[in-house]
Amino acid sequence: MKLTIDNVGKCYRGKVWALRRFSLELKPGVLGLLGPNGAGKTTLMSILATITRATEGRVRWNGTDLASNPNALRTVLGYLPQDFGVYPNLSTQEFLEYLAAVKGLDATAARRRIDQLLNLVNLADVRGRPLGGFSGGMKQRVGIAQALLNDPQLLIVDEPTAGLDPEERVRFRNLLSELSGERIVILSTHIVSDVEATATDIALISNGALVAHAAPEGLLRRVEGRVWEWVIPSADLNAVKQCYRVSNTMRRSDGVHVRVLTDEPPAGAQPVSPTLEDAYLDSLSVYRAGAVA
Amino acid sequence: MKRGRVLWHLVKADFLTRVRRTSFLVTLAFAVFLGYQTFAGNIVMQLDDFRGVYNSAWVGALMGVVTSSFLTLVGFYIVKGSILRDETTRVGQILAATPMSKGFYTLAKSLGNFAVLASMVFVMAVAALCMQLIRAEDRTLHLWTLLSPLLLYALPSMAFVAALAVLFETLPVLRGGVGNVIWFFLWTGLLVAGIGPEATRGGLPTNADYFHDFSGLPTMMVQMRTTILQVDPNFHNNFSLSIGGRPPQHRFLWTGVRWDSVQVAARFTWFAYAIAAALLASVFFHRFDPARERFVRRREEAPERPPVEGLAAAKELVRSDPWAGRLTPLSPASAKNRFISVVAAELRLMLQGHRWWWYAVAGGLFIGCLAAPLPASSGGVILAAWIWPILVWSQMGSREARYATSSLIFSAPRALQRQLPAVWVAGVLVTLATGGGLAIRLLVARDLHGLAGFAVAVCFIPSLALALGVLSGGSKFFEALYTVWWYTGAAHHLRGGDFTGTVASSSRPALYLALTVILLAACWMRRRTQLAYA
Repeated sequence: MKLTIDNVGKCYRGKVWALRRFSLELKPGVLGLLGPNGAGKTTLMSILATITRATEGRVRWNGTDLASNPNALRTVLGYLPQDFGVYPNLSTQEFLEYLAAVKGLDATAARRRIDQLLNLVNLADVRGRPLGGFSGGMKQRVGIAQALLNDPQLLIVDEPTAGLDPEERVRFRNLLSELSGERIVILSTHIVSDVEATATDIALISNGALVAHAAPEGLLRRVEGRVWEWVIPSADLNAVKQCYRVSNTMRRSDGVHVRVLTDEPPAGAQPVSPTLEDAYLDSLSVYRAGAVA
Repeated sequence: MKRGRVLWHLVKADFLTRVRRTSFLVTLAFAVFLGYQTFAGNIVMQLDDFRGVYNSAWVGALMGVVTSSFLTLVGFYIVKGSILRDETTRVGQILAATPMSKGFYTLAKSLGNFAVLASMVFVMAVAALCMQLIRAEDRTLHLWTLLSPLLLYALPSMAFVAALAVLFETLPVLRGGVGNVIWFFLWTGLLVAGIGPEATRGGLPTNADYFHDFSGLPTMMVQMRTTILQVDPNFHNNFSLSIGGRPPQHRFLWTGVRWDSVQVAARFTWFAYAIAAALLASVFFHRFDPARERFVRRREEAPERPPVEGLAAAKELVRSDPWAGRLTPLSPASAKNRFISVVAAELRLMLQGHRWWWYAVAGGLFIGCLAAPLPASSGGVILAAWIWPILVWSQMGSREARYATSSLIFSAPRALQRQLPAVWVAGVLVTLATGGGLAIRLLVARDLHGLAGFAVAVCFIPSLALALGVLSGGSKFFEALYTVWWYTGAAHHLRGGDFTGTVASSSRPALYLALTVILLAACWMRRRTQLAYA
């Protein structure tokens, strides 16, 4: 099982390149695709989900070029888009039955699968209720269920935890981790903690280009010994921000706890263990500095 | 002053949103097309066998009448949807949180609609100018005479249509496809209502007649009749505005509409009607309140679980809730279904959401086709049977765009080869479900020609719906075109225009079979381009 993205680029009208020379090879596991807003994550997801055609480059699923045979991937694809709609007159059960038919599942298998999925996403109690009355979080759970309908080998989820409450978010993260054993999962998000909890690999993307591709441990090693924290009075915060790359601040009763990324320790600062968020911010700023230079 | 500025910006934003869409170019292209057809002599206004000399008066009158009759029909469909756009783009929710009143909003939307329709009138005015100069029967330009029918007939009618479109959108029953169908009949009624009883008998219109003359056509017709009687005392009072047909053989000199204060006041009254309609719309306007929209959002029924605060607590709770084993893997064999399953799913989707009486009427129509005498069955009953499911057909091909499910459907395998044909077959089944009784009658009567016509119609209607849905991405185009076609072509058994194919004198099965093939091919090609990989 292998997904190969080979020098893929996408140019929209007005010659705006959302993605440029993007290459990656994916094997079973969870790939966390991280990047700021407008980095090109959704464009990449759309190309991989066969919704949009790449302007340049090739995408291959187990060696088969999507351009020549997209159905090779579609039959084993689960896709949860960032924005999607539902048919308001249908109930959850009916909507999933409809999509199961369109995806090519036979009726008996579909019914069994839908039962399991509705329990999984905690919608079994409202399976008969029209989707038109659902909240954003409930619709998102319907979206998760439909993405898993055909037991996909490639699962692409774009901002899947948007609109979910904390409990559902954790449940979904756990689900992704458990699903990843024998399939490729691509999780696109700008919420670093989602990736931190589930990803076996991380790809950082910015301005349509691949900034870094590594295991979480590899990214963390890059900032090892360069993350510092200390407490300052509130009045000094602006001055500190001018001098250091601040990754986090937290106001407490004893002052502001400042976390910075720097090679030289500030006076009075203590070294702390880096988080993925530190590594993410560091990689992006290094990339941006390089791009400006 | 401040309110004026707000109104200006609302109308401006609304107008710019529309003119920057490709559909606006299509709208203008339609106006140009209509102008050209008039110029080329394909749209003819005639009184008995007379037409006017192409001077400023006649060209202006012709363009004014064409605009206030044909363009008002189409214009409604073009501008209806401005509130829906604010709803789908969610701009409406932002506007709803401002101090703007509902009346102000519906008035601004009406003005935005009017700006679009006025741009079409402008195109017709340019066409009128060109027409007079190129036709060259009389090159003397009298600008007021040329433009006054457009300014005083067409513009007030358009203002009323613009406001009606907003009113329709605010009324729950009329905001969807039902409104699109009803508009055609309302428009017909508005045209007819303008002809007062005196004018019908050949007399002069009363002052009251002017005030309910929507298009200006009847009052202009009366003035023309007075002129023509001086040329031909045997004038039979026949007036027609037709597309195609035999051109009139005689000409007469028409010097233009003689405006008096009552007529001008009557025309301005339509602006007042428009304001009244816009303000009436504000009474029904839901101000983007989701609780008053069609699907009332109910409170999410949270499953019975302890309350969770924050991610850390959630993690604790979920740790004891393993996922493993909840999903059993699917066998490869289960990922193969038959085409019939997709058809069944599409059919179910099409028929879902109607009230019981909808199915009862549909069933009644099937039985009516089966039980009524054959002439009635192939006449009025089949017509009713094939207008009833119009809102079911009109969802074909556009449902994915309307409900934003394209990314889910189009990423499924063989969306072009399986899902699209399944939609078409489901549409055919719906057509058969209401009118199928007639097929049995024709079979029993061994009327093979009628049966062939019926079979072609059963294929043609869903093909038209699917093609227009896929091509336009909405349901409105089909709803408008089909209603007009059904009324003018099928209900009047117009030769070549009767797609039902069950009346021998007007049936053209070969023509409609060819049209079916063309429509399906166009629809297939368009859907191919919508899918990144077909």
